Amino acid sequence: MDLNLELARIIEEARPCFQCGICSSSCPVYRVTPELNPRLAIDNLIQKNTIEPSGREWACALCLMCEQRCPTGVSLAHILITMKNISAQRGGAPSSVIEAIHSLLSLGVIAQSSGLEKKRSKYNLPQLQLPDHDQIKKLLELTGAIDILESHLKMEEIE
Amino acid sequence: MKYAFFPGCTIAYWLPFIEKSIRLVSAELGIELIDLPFNCCPEPNTVRSFSSESWLVLAARNLALAEENGLDILTGCTGCLESLALAKHEIESKPENMEKVNQALESIGMSYSGKKSIIHMHQLLYDIIGIDKIGEHVKRSLKIRVVTHSGCHLLRPYNILQADDPEAPIKLDKLVEILGIEPLDYMDKTMCCGTGTRRANREASFAILREKMASMTMVEPDAAVVFCPSCFTSFESGQKIVNRMFGTNYRLPVYYYTELLALAMELSEMDTVLSGHRVKGPLSAISPENRNLNQTVQS
Repeated sequence: MDLNLELARIIEEARPCFQCGICSSSCPVYRVTPELNPRLAIDNLIQKNTIEPSGREWACALCLMCEQRCPTGVSLAHILITMKNISAQRGGAPSSVIEAIHSLLSLGVIAQSSGLEKKRSKYNLPQLQLPDHDQIKKLLELTGAIDILESHLKMEEIE
Repeated sequence: MKYAFFPGCTIAYWLPFIEKSIRLVSAELGIELIDLPFNCCPEPNTVRSFSSESWLVLAARNLALAEENGLDILTGCTGCLESLALAKHEIESKPENMEKVNQALESIGMSYSGKKSIIHMHQLLYDIIGIDKIGEHVKRSLKIRVVTHSGCHLLRPYNILQADDPEAPIKLDKLVEILGIEPLDYMDKTMCCGTGTRRANREASFAILREKMASMTMVEPDAAVVFCPSCFTSFESGQKIVNRMFGTNYRLPVYYYTELLALAMELSEMDTVLSGHRVKGPLSAISPENRNLNQTVQS
């Protein structure tokens, strides 16, 4: 993923925004904390042409009410996801997300549960079919996820 | 009817009793479910946020697997529905994405052409089977009052999912009504349950849940009814954490819709299904033996 290209793309996507604020008044996260203010996230993007390293975009719950209501059809969810993608490439994904990606890499799923078969057999459920682990690893490698994981390990070493 | 069954990680790993109720109801309605070695859908808040490219290609593997088997996908999870439907849209509306995912899939000996679709249980029951047909299977009126919560990822983005009105959903209300249940209107019906932000900001996620619980309990329901496993966990287990964090005293039972349908159909094994709940609800499974006993007493 070309970071500059993606950044330029979301700045263009954000352009129709006229700061009416319906996104913020529809946001369940903003309702309980000022940490994520979708209107300001968009404003910062347009005004400063950059993504600040605050990491606030990770608080988006992805409920999509903001873009459902946006009168100019700005896809805030897509913009926030791209901001998170860029943040991840810079080594800024939260540790809980990194854990999930590690689980995906080793198991092909992000859920983990001890005594899974016992739990399922209580309900007479068929054995869960698991994906070929090598296939998942290969696809994650090809799409750059392993490199992003490694950049997080390096960040940890620096810190 | 036959579908590739995509239970999703949350149901298969953490809420197997929900999976059981889906399988019980499907069998009763003549729906055959085929199990395939799917990977994580992948989950948008983690995988798509981490890398959109990885998300798209891993979703394509699931779509390709269903296509290989000549089946449409049926899921019980709204997150999986949204992830797979959105990926399908991204792949099929942009030729460059179709090329990109097929290049990646080729390396694992797979390919995708975009012939198969993905639906949620909600769509199967309401849009394909229909309320009237479901009504024919109802043997017992459940007679409780509930608040329904369809789930964000079933409702939005509407232009792609088209499952129900994204601002004023009504179909889940109609689905509970046919079981003899009264759906109550309440404030914040389409508000998020808080799960989406739990990994990034735990406190905010439970504050969102507190707001949602306040709205739901204001109309004094006997239970909440959901069609999303993450919302189920958020409400059922999360309310205890909300109580601890904010000094509230919520104790609202939660049902996944097919559990209620199975109860109304008087299907067996529902005692075991309900034993998986952490907040005991107002409904119990009536086994055929008990029913006969009741009739004897009444006569």
